[in-house]
Amino acid sequence: MILSSDMCKYLFISVLSFIAFAKAVAQQTVIDSTATEKLEEIVLTATRTERQLSSLPLPVTLISKKNILQSGTIRLDEILNEQTGIITVSDESGFEGVQIQGISSDYILILVDGVPLVGRSAGNFDLSRITVGNIKQIEVVKGPASSLYGSEALGGVINIITEKPKTEKLNGNVSYRLGSFTQQDINLDVKKRFDKLRIGFFANRFSSNGYDLSPETGGQTVNPFENYTFNTRLYYDFNESISLFTSARYYDQTQDAGFTFEDIEYKGDSNEKEWNAHARLDHKWDEKLSTSYEFYYTNYRANERLEDPIEEDAFTDSDFNQTLIRPEIRANYKLESAGTITAGVGYQLESLDRTYFDERVDFNSQYVYGQYDVNPTEKLNVIAGARFDNHSEYSNQFSPKLAARYQLSESIAIKASVGYGFKAPDFRQLYFDFTNSAVGYTVLGYNVAVDKLNDLQAQGQILDVVVPLNELDDPLEAESSIGYNLGMTFKKGKWNSELNFFRNDFKNLIDTRIIARKNNGQNVFSYVNFDEIYTTGLEVNTSYKVSDAIKLSAGYQLLYAFDKTQEKAVEDGNVFVRDAQTNQTVAIDRSEYFGLVNRSRHNGNFKIFYDLKKYKANVNLRLLYRSKYAQFDTNGNGLIDSYDTSFIGGYVTANIAANKTFYQDFNLQVGANNLLDYTDNNIPTQPGIQGYIKLNYQF
Amino acid sequence: MKTVNTLKTIAIAILFLGFGSCSSDDDVSQAAIESNTVSNLPAPQTGGQGQEIGGDFTKFDFSTGLETTSDTEWDIAFRGTTIAINGGVSTGTADEPERNGDAAAAIATGTFASVVTAEGLVFTQDASAGYAIPAGSDNGWYNYNFMTNVISAIPGKVLVIRTRDGRYAKVEILSYYENQDTTASSRFYTFNYVYNPNLGDTSL
Repeated sequence: MILSSDMCKYLFISVLSFIAFAKAVAQQTVIDSTATEKLEEIVLTATRTERQLSSLPLPVTLISKKNILQSGTIRLDEILNEQTGIITVSDESGFEGVQIQGISSDYILILVDGVPLVGRSAGNFDLSRITVGNIKQIEVVKGPASSLYGSEALGGVINIITEKPKTEKLNGNVSYRLGSFTQQDINLDVKKRFDKLRIGFFANRFSSNGYDLSPETGGQTVNPFENYTFNTRLYYDFNESISLFTSARYYDQTQDAGFTFEDIEYKGDSNEKEWNAHARLDHKWDEKLSTSYEFYYTNYRANERLEDPIEEDAFTDSDFNQTLIRPEIRANYKLESAGTITAGVGYQLESLDRTYFDERVDFNSQYVYGQYDVNPTEKLNVIAGARFDNHSEYSNQFSPKLAARYQLSESIAIKASVGYGFKAPDFRQLYFDFTNSAVGYTVLGYNVAVDKLNDLQAQGQILDVVVPLNELDDPLEAESSIGYNLGMTFKKGKWNSELNFFRNDFKNLIDTRIIARKNNGQNVFSYVNFDEIYTTGLEVNTSYKVSDAIKLSAGYQLLYAFDKTQEKAVEDGNVFVRDAQTNQTVAIDRSEYFGLVNRSRHNGNFKIFYDLKKYKANVNLRLLYRSKYAQFDTNGNGLIDSYDTSFIGGYVTANIAANKTFYQDFNLQVGANNLLDYTDNNIPTQPGIQGYIKLNYQF
Repeated sequence: MKTVNTLKTIAIAILFLGFGSCSSDDDVSQAAIESNTVSNLPAPQTGGQGQEIGGDFTKFDFSTGLETTSDTEWDIAFRGTTIAINGGVSTGTADEPERNGDAAAAIATGTFASVVTAEGLVFTQDASAGYAIPAGSDNGWYNYNFMTNVISAIPGKVLVIRTRDGRYAKVEILSYYENQDTTASSRFYTFNYVYNPNLGDTSL
């Protein structure tokens, strides 16, 4: 659906009048000059304004640089996996995606300094692509955030914040780390301020020889790789009120992709390249109004070429080239006691050219959003926001959100929020044209399905079409969810606790279905809005400061994640299983329906951080628990039940790290991940125990 | 005349005897329902994996409970994952057997024991548009798992067959692998069946 120009005008006027109204309200109020800048734990992601973490009405996890450094984590997936309710899950290609509140990687938006990263493999974003070497903090907002960020922000938003150089003295650090599997991580971070100009430069090289979880089979589980990340940031303060931020980031990874299959040793590499260019001009008009003009460009390329060295013919040769360009204008208007208004308008152009596409495909969208953040009383904070996205390929999306926090007493506050999230159908779901050469099935993108099916029919490959083709006339709907969060925080003395109940109802999830049958006995698949699922549960986080030196923390997530259609089929007694022992078919009971794949009912963590100030040292232990989960259906009934055999039993991983500072500027770190040496052939991303040693020089 | 009267008497007597046996010994005249398991019925095929499929079907006759090579005395036939029935017409692939009976098939959902009648089911026959028991993963009797490359019979799918001569049978496929071992060779059917040899009797 295309938005009419009248409608665009109407929206634009609405936003303008919203700001004007806000300005009018502001003029009637006395400005309270209580500065919030001095407060620590400032979060940007939740509201697109600086907000103190503890004052937010939304569930937010903040991971500090100190925590990242002390834990000895080097890639984003490692540090996220140690947070309550955030799990990294490896897909069949071995990519580590993230799961938040039981919602998979496809529905979680990854940002760096507020702008999105692209380049997903079948929807999964590989978090190990991102080094944490130059991060100031990581902010994770749980629950739908499409009201501010648009597509993909259903399960949450992960925003990586880089550090702004502060001092005129050249400062930074250089580090080298060596670990098991010849894993090497080298970092150089330099920051300096020259009066109005500030420069930050960062370089990282990360490599590993990989590892093999099943030596009895040919090839390795993870092949050797090396990657480089470069990031240059320039900040220029024209004057008190106008400042410029620019950032250029480049990532390049090469991994040996060779493998042995039926005694043939295929050789080749897979390569990933990513560019990001980000510029933002911030203009502070006065105490109340500030605007930002932002331009963002990113390009992600991946290719893989494998060949049979004897026959010298290409076994696979695949390319993937995705670009995103996004200008955006934002405005913040502070009404002080009457709240803050945030509004933005932007344009997004995306394109993808890849193997199995006929030609490069372009999407474009326009969007506008507004948010009102207000404290009607001293104890109550309310945030209301909404965003409208007009997209060239799917129906328009309106994403509202409402959140509130009430301070019950000095130590107890209640938080509640409800929001809408959506994910646009991706390029693959719309334009894919793939035929598996080994098995013979075909997968067609929704927008090209009818044409491609006609081609196949003309070639005499189609036995019959099983879906009325006029069902494919209406555009594929965006996947969407409504998320509810209700929580409580308790802060008193040495205790800091948070409890949150969540529920996410998804509809229009896109899945494949058979649209035609082929003469070779195989099927033609295409995509359809089909599934309705829900995830619900609770999360508890508690930290207790035993003394200045010892801090304990514990976290737990309880999760139920089910497909509503399957749940009903099970309740109606229409899903069966063949008991392997008796060879008898029985209807499965509701209690035997386990739920969605890769979801553990229980997740927990326990951490001790012990600071030995006297010795300029600290040591920490982190224990992570994940209860059993299933990988896929094994008994043909299309869902996970307790008879399936793809379960991975519950397990604990223990990570330990010790740090010691000497000669003022040197820091030595020794640690071990997966101390209990837990491995499973079905978890390709989990090697055995990995020791490491790191030397860091701070200047 | 006398002989005629005698014959009449005998005829009437037989008639009464006949009626008598009908009313008192119902079970004896009706053949018992047969319940059996067929193990490792081979179902080879040529081609596949994108190539044209061919090869003879392995035919099965419910009345004998045996594999058969007869061109007429068969009810269902197997080739790879494809199941043909002796009713309707060829779907058009190579080497299909000629349909010369009046067989038909329906797929019921439930445990094997819970499907007790063919009454009320919609029976179809093989046709140029496709097999009565649809081919392909998740269409008919099986599911192909991309992760494990294993073909499993979908539990709870019971094939109800009207045989070539109007009797009824139900079939539950247990395995597509030799000795029901998914690591062994495929294209070996093991199935349970129940056959009611009484013409037109839908109970199973």
